[in-house]
Amino acid sequence: MLQINNMQAGYGNLRILRGINMEISAGSIVTLLGGNGTGKSTLLKAVSGLIPLMEGSISFDGVDITGLKPHERVRRGIVQVTQAKEAYPAMTVEENLMLGAYTRKDRGAIKADLDQVYEFFPVLRERRVQLSGTLSGGEVQMLVIGRGMMAGPKMLMLDEPSAALAPKVVLDIFGNINRIAKTGVTILVVEQNVRMALILAEYGYIIRDGVIMLQGDAKKLISDPAVKESFLGGSVADTSKILHN
Amino acid sequence: MAFDFNSLFAFIIFGVTIGVVYGIVALGISLIYSGLDIVHFAHGEMYMFGAFFGLVLVHNIGLPYPLALIGAMVLTALLGMAIERTFYRRLTRAGGGYTVAGMGMIICGFGMSVALVNVAYFIWGAEAEPFRANLNFIPRLTFAGDIEVPESYVLTAIISVILMAALHYFLRHTKMGLAVRAVAHNKDIAYLMGINVPLMISLIFGLACGLGAAAGVLIGPMQSVQVEMGYLMLMKAFAAAVVGGFGSLPGAIIGGIMVGIFENLGAAYISASHKDIYAFLLLILVLMFKPSGLLGIEAKVKA
Repeated sequence: MLQINNMQAGYGNLRILRGINMEISAGSIVTLLGGNGTGKSTLLKAVSGLIPLMEGSISFDGVDITGLKPHERVRRGIVQVTQAKEAYPAMTVEENLMLGAYTRKDRGAIKADLDQVYEFFPVLRERRVQLSGTLSGGEVQMLVIGRGMMAGPKMLMLDEPSAALAPKVVLDIFGNINRIAKTGVTILVVEQNVRMALILAEYGYIIRDGVIMLQGDAKKLISDPAVKESFLGGSVADTSKILHN
Repeated sequence: MAFDFNSLFAFIIFGVTIGVVYGIVALGISLIYSGLDIVHFAHGEMYMFGAFFGLVLVHNIGLPYPLALIGAMVLTALLGMAIERTFYRRLTRAGGGYTVAGMGMIICGFGMSVALVNVAYFIWGAEAEPFRANLNFIPRLTFAGDIEVPESYVLTAIISVILMAALHYFLRHTKMGLAVRAVAHNKDIAYLMGINVPLMISLIFGLACGLGAAAGVLIGPMQSVQVEMGYLMLMKAFAAAVVGGFGSLPGAIIGGIMVGIFENLGAAYISASHKDIYAFLLLILVLMFKPSGLLGIEAKVKA
């Protein structure tokens, strides 16, 4: 579904991504892991079109989208869920959600999707006339994910959905990402929470210094000694049980 | 001058009416500031061109005044959008506000202001032209026995309220208005929502210029139309925007009304020959005691 060939991108003269190759097949959950400053967010910006490529190409659904503007990519179904702090604080919860559906005209389907968002995240329904600036960290994270769902995405890209949240909230959110995937949406989740991400995903990429250092099945990565040593500690069995029940 | 409540009341009414017009121009300046992160120094010329377009539509084409008002707003909006696309976009693309490009934008705005005055001078000459509009369809209001409010003031009050209500409805209750607010807050996130950000920026600019034009057509019949009328209006509208809180839309209107009342009272009770100074006196007072303006939030510093 998404194919990235030798992607190089950065800011000004600073080249952050130095030749990324990735392939994400339709309906899968893929995670991109790495520490701070390794190029994760830059990669998302390049895929959603906020920064231009210096070299390489991106294609989606078999069509080359390298030259498309961000809003044109959204129309094709590539939707980036922003970091939680990037909700619109002066707009209500429902205005934020409707903004997600900006490119769509099918009123009936939009209403149905809004109901689905409220079903996934009931707290958003309770807060729907509240300004999103008054929400808690976890609620805002749910809001930006809901806003992404409202765009009717084919592929949803999430930028660190677990950042700065309590473990219980993270579990709830990851459970819901799993539910979104089950509705047929391809998921790319960028994370620092390696354990949670590898339990959720089917396939993982590990990025360091702007190149893909390691990739493979999530189950293999989770037991890979190199990954274990640099990222993980302790057992993964308990979390896995909670997430998949 | 002897003090009596009737004339005080009259000065306040006239002050509010003129003030709302300052407010409408300030509204445009605030819209551009929040949408494009730039301070538009050629906005006074948009007001001036609007007034001339209105005058041409009424005198030469023979349109009735209300249609001329709409026509002038549309023409000025198109002119503004063309200017933004051709000249400003190259600079704003590199960032506005406190960036180097933002400084360039200020100079570019001043240059545009001088250029537009000269273009208008070529077309319409330097003479002040009276704006003869048939306003007989508006009733002349009389209150408290002896205060008469001329038609042009009544009309200004009505049109201003309609424009503000329409803008409020547009921003708060339409999908496109939601997109405008999204672009004003953060362009990258707006892009990720699938909003065509460059198009919205054009729209914001056009809207702001259309508001400026409306102010020009409203002021025209009260005073006269002249190529240099934009300078003073720009200064007063800036004062209004700062008094109300720069970037705040309700603040722009309230600031405008305050400037209007303040200068009318100053002219009436202190000295009429220094009428244009009072706006800036108010500006200085507000900057001394509440620098963020009446409705302003903390100074919005953009990276």
